Amino acid sequence: MKEENAMTAQESLDIITRMIAEAKGNMMRNGFYFLLWGWVVIVANLGMYVLQKMNYEYFYVVWVITIPAWIISMVRGYRQGKAQRKTTHLDTVSMWLWLTFGITIFTLVAFGSKINYQLNPVILTISSIPTFLSGIVIRFRPLVFGGMSFWVFGIICFLTPHETQPLIGAVAILCGYIVPGYLLKMKE
Amino acid sequence: MFKDLDPLLHSQLRLAIMSLLMSLESAEFTFLKEKTNSTAGNLSVQIDKLSEAGYISVEKSFKGKKPLTTCKVTPRGIKAFEDYVNTLKQYINK
Repeated sequence: MKEENAMTAQESLDIITRMIAEAKGNMMRNGFYFLLWGWVVIVANLGMYVLQKMNYEYFYVVWVITIPAWIISMVRGYRQGKAQRKTTHLDTVSMWLWLTFGITIFTLVAFGSKINYQLNPVILTISSIPTFLSGIVIRFRPLVFGGMSFWVFGIICFLTPHETQPLIGAVAILCGYIVPGYLLKMKE
Repeated sequence: MFKDLDPLLHSQLRLAIMSLLMSLESAEFTFLKEKTNSTAGNLSVQIDKLSEAGYISVEKSFKGKKPLTTCKVTPRGIKAFEDYVNTLKQYINK
């Protein structure tokens, strides 16, 4: 492009339109995270169910398997961010959406005793927000349906006895993360 | 009576840089270079001019061992761009 000031209004407008079109591009599509977290949370839920059945007192320790998932997600997210040459507003919105979700979950888990350990239904219901919105943002319908399924499973979970709740959690994750996650991976 | 177009934006390359940054959160130097089809030298000069005017903010860091320049539009830049487009409308609607 030349450096000159003799541009007409029409030429200016052409540059603006062309550059805006250039800046548009595909959002980061990350089937990986849905599969990683999906499988980790399913294993944790099933593990919790089994340990409870075995009358093991500290059945919730199984959730420590989420620690490596946190580390992997953070390292991968940081690397991906560095490798990207441009960041769209929606990339930023998505990142914060999941981070705030993570912080909310932390808070809920830390104060689980205050809500009578009804963590499964509460977390399932809240999971609908980032999942549903990610589906909208990347225009991927299976993820939108996945997000909606969390509302339904959240309600079912509230109506289920405490010991059976982890099973509902596992099925919910299968519909909400795993199925959309694999469909997303196929498109990548 | 037409308002004058902001001379800082009324230049092909600077307008192209600003238009790209308006639609993004941030962009790297190499991305801007590729999309505007400009030379590194010229792009560098124009980025400095926009940065001196406070229209964009420039962050220099490293990606491995390579220097990395990331640009972002500032609130002042957004205002200037909007004013420029509004003035442009007057020219087009006459």
